[in-house]
Amino acid sequence: MEVVKKRAALLSNYEVLTLLRELENDHLTRAKTALKVKKEEVASNLNAGAGKDVRDVEVSENLRTMEVEAIQYFASDIQPAPYQTPEGIRELLRSLGPYNLTKAEKLQIVNIAPQSMPVLWAIIEEMEDRMTVDQMQEIIGLVQNSLTKETREPIQQTSHSVVNIIEDDQDAYGDDEGYMDVVDDAQFDDTGEGAGVEGDLDVDDD
Amino acid sequence: MFEISILKDTIPIHPSDFGLPPEQALIAELNKKYANRVLHDVGLCVCTFDITEAGEGKVRYGDGFLWYKVIFRMVVFRPFPSEIILAKVKSVDAEGMRLTLGFFDDVYVPSAYLPSPSTFDISRRQHFWVPPGDEEDPPNLLDVEEDRRMYIEAGDQVRVRVESDEFYDDEPGPPKATEGVTVQAIPRRSPYSIICSMSEQGLGPAAWWPSDDGDEEMDDG
Repeated sequence: MEVVKKRAALLSNYEVLTLLRELENDHLTRAKTALKVKKEEVASNLNAGAGKDVRDVEVSENLRTMEVEAIQYFASDIQPAPYQTPEGIRELLRSLGPYNLTKAEKLQIVNIAPQSMPVLWAIIEEMEDRMTVDQMQEIIGLVQNSLTKETREPIQQTSHSVVNIIEDDQDAYGDDEGYMDVVDDAQFDDTGEGAGVEGDLDVDDD
Repeated sequence: MFEISILKDTIPIHPSDFGLPPEQALIAELNKKYANRVLHDVGLCVCTFDITEAGEGKVRYGDGFLWYKVIFRMVVFRPFPSEIILAKVKSVDAEGMRLTLGFFDDVYVPSAYLPSPSTFDISRRQHFWVPPGDEEDPPNLLDVEEDRRMYIEAGDQVRVRVESDEFYDDEPGPPKATEGVTVQAIPRRSPYSIICSMSEQGLGPAAWWPSDDGDEEMDDG
């Protein structure tokens, strides 16, 4: 192993969270596909394709630990990442331009989303010399504007997906014909984001 | 908090994975090797971001693996000094406290870096901070009446500033047989630990600094 460049770029918490959620969703979809394949083999008594399936990538235990724990970390109620959107962050950074902040300070404003003066004070060095009280208030206002009010409730969504897998499981055993449809629906729900997912799920389950 | 590091490595792919697209197989292999591992002087690896460059897979004498030379980008957890991070208090003792981020829990706040003036309350086994008030503080902080003490409890969400970080490479060397069979228990150090402080305005439990900017004038020093 060789380190080419230690710190090539800095990532915001939001970017890391998005990446991890993608991996998580990916993993869940794959777990479902694997289940499906297994079921098909059992159903048609075909154990001929004993080799690895094309989609069957082994996911390491360490990566799973990392995914789950980091997503949990971001789910805490003072973490701004679940309330952020790419547009919001871009807009925030654009409007922070005139304040002469360093890159690290801007990154921290995005990561911490300071909503009170003392916290902003801690992030920006020598703030009292660099800007007026009004400007500080403006920054706090900008931060508040960049956050959406409703979260996308990542944890809840994940638990729904797990429930889905289990339910698919039972459906698949009972009825092989309608099986594909069920899976398709479930996959759709899985990747879906935003409010109202919960209600949709209830309807589908009936 | 997180950054991207560019790394280079030679990765073997097992023949049973030849059916996969090489990129997918490589990323799975890289994650298996690096995820949740501390690289000395780099940080804690989270997951593979992407592959920048990969050579042709080559077969070596002796095994059936395809060996790929890969240059890839890794998402690494390594907060920079003076960065402010959010964490949770994991445990408290007289020397300070230990914080956790969920995926990483070698974050320490020594008592010297706690908000000042503060002291350790032995009966509750917690540290507390005495915010500056109108009256003069008694010489012994433990004499301060209960309702002026701001306790920091285990489980509190706190904001802390990263002061420094340390890496230890404690690979066991070859066994030394000169002194018979005495095995010295060397205390295991964590490979990567972060020292933080919360002795500033805006730092410490998040509940101390509520989001509306109403009356935060309670602390002016």
